[in-house]
Amino acid sequence: MKSVYPYPTLFGDIELDILSVTVDGAAEFPYSHVSRSERTVALHRSGRERWDYCTLRLRATLPDREIADGRWTDLACLATLTEKATNARTTTLLEASADGSWSGTIDLHRSRHVDRATLGLVVVATVDGVAGRVIGTTERDWYLDLKASTPVRQREIEIVEADFREGPDEWLRPYKDSPWIVETTGDVPTVHLNTGGVDGLVDLLGDSGGSPAERMLREMVAGQIAQDAWTAMFHTAISDLDVDEDGTPVMPTGWREAVLRMMLPDVLPGRQPVDALYDIAERRAKGFGWAELQTNIQYAAGKRSRITRKLTNAVRGLDVADRNGTR
Amino acid sequence: MRPFTSGDLPPVFALLPDAAVAGHLGRSIQAGLELPPQVALARACVAYDESTAERRQTAPVRDLLDEAMRRFADDRSSADGWLAPRLHATLRMTRAEAADGRLWNHLAMIVAPDYVVWRHKGADKAEGPGVATAARFSGPHYTQAFSRLWWAAELFRDGDDYRPVVTACRVQDVLNTTLRLDVIDHRPTAQAVIRVVGRLVDEGAPRPGDRVNALSSAVNAAGSTLMYDVLARDDAPDPDELLDWIEAGKSEVVDWERLPEGPSDGRVRPAAVDALLPFFEKLLEEAPLRRRKPTEGERSEAATLPGPRAPGVVLAKPSDFTG
Repeated sequence: MKSVYPYPTLFGDIELDILSVTVDGAAEFPYSHVSRSERTVALHRSGRERWDYCTLRLRATLPDREIADGRWTDLACLATLTEKATNARTTTLLEASADGSWSGTIDLHRSRHVDRATLGLVVVATVDGVAGRVIGTTERDWYLDLKASTPVRQREIEIVEADFREGPDEWLRPYKDSPWIVETTGDVPTVHLNTGGVDGLVDLLGDSGGSPAERMLREMVAGQIAQDAWTAMFHTAISDLDVDEDGTPVMPTGWREAVLRMMLPDVLPGRQPVDALYDIAERRAKGFGWAELQTNIQYAAGKRSRITRKLTNAVRGLDVADRNGTR
Repeated sequence: MRPFTSGDLPPVFALLPDAAVAGHLGRSIQAGLELPPQVALARACVAYDESTAERRQTAPVRDLLDEAMRRFADDRSSADGWLAPRLHATLRMTRAEAADGRLWNHLAMIVAPDYVVWRHKGADKAEGPGVATAARFSGPHYTQAFSRLWWAAELFRDGDDYRPVVTACRVQDVLNTTLRLDVIDHRPTAQAVIRVVGRLVDEGAPRPGDRVNALSSAVNAAGSTLMYDVLARDDAPDPDELLDWIEAGKSEVVDWERLPEGPSDGRVRPAAVDALLPFFEKLLEEAPLRRRKPTEGERSEAATLPGPRAPGVVLAKPSDFTG
């Protein structure tokens, strides 16, 4: 599905780069925390937990020739720093430099962000007498990750080990007889492995070698856990969908979106994701065809969980879908 | 239900995980027939860093809620406009802190479960007693009973001025619909919307809720091709002023009659609001009013929702295919 604007927009690439990151106005951030290929900055550094703000030096390049030929006036380049969780929105206008690029700085304040901020660039111009028209955006936004210490875009499902029976987590106690449970209520889905459950299971999963029988058992168990995780994530992701004004369900955000985009093609083959979403929401609400769908959900979850072998691989890989690339 | 007593109240706020809420929240609690199991929930809580305990006391918030229930006994939805600024000025914190849903879980399940039921309980039906939906106890920021008020105050205040917040709360649809739109994260946009809302209410316009929904929807849709940030410039709020205000609020008790003062982290430029106002008024004039589906009880508060802000005009809709 392609978005269409009722006025001329830029066709060429709009690039946004982060040249440097300084913390609290002084200390330069090590550049290893900035990954251009991943378009991600890892703002967490052990040993330097306390900081108030960081300043990002930005440089943007636009398709110059197109702009020179086009009928846009009052061109402006606006960097936007946002985070859904805190409803934060900071913007800064970049200035045109002599070499044709645009540059400026934007501050990220710790008190206004909590997890992962998104940095994008919007090119705005007056078109046909209408000021403030969006004529282009960056293809891929930057992520500024406050919790990560390595700059990777992809986030993984958390796998934690705990003793359900005697550990500190009260809420795990009722599950003391299960070898594992999957929790999908939080920001990141989590698999809890019960160290006090089946004897030796956690060790087995953590191992890599062993006899052929051990290896096979490990793969079976890992696949089983992954299947549970994918099924639980899918059900969580399609429950509680927001709908827009004419009743069309809206694609959720975060990991829920990533899970749906990965699994919907197997659950309802040959459909556009948004179309499939509509169908599923309707079946869920009205009850028809819901039971039939379970087979496909099971199949989709099984397919994903058998792609890779080890548990960490089997349930990893929640690429929190790119805000621009997936619309 | 056994009434909530001061003996039930923990001295400071803590963080209560969603899983713990899900494990204990049941219909009898949602209907107000019994209180949540305080001891079991308390065990699941995660404590805040002790150094901030002084500004996380529960008693001032509890007093505020008791007063709201007394004051608005006959008209519970009016409590929102009174409570939102006062809750914001009592529970002083940064947005980063407020984004942690576990705090709101703690407030709803342990500090004031009776308030959630009082404010959001639906009408009793033949099938059983009315309930407050689970999302009012633990849910998204725009639905949860207390976080929706705190965020409404945060997003609609004009620097230290809470008056726009009071205006916003006069129409429930602002809290139910407008609050969840990304466009209002731009402060002049939020202020301009509230100015229009204020005018509608002052003039006694018919169906103000529907008109607010229509306006929000139109502002949101237009925002996909128009950059309000460029049309109406805003200066970033001063984070130091906010932190000073949070620090100063430790022993402050808000006035019940007079509106409190928010953090002086900078007001929106009047010119920025004026730049958007005529455009929003025009949008309101042109926006079609949607017929509201007849619903009962709590449901009637859930208005139609505009979708998220998408770029450009989307030509195909799934509904086109399934007809």
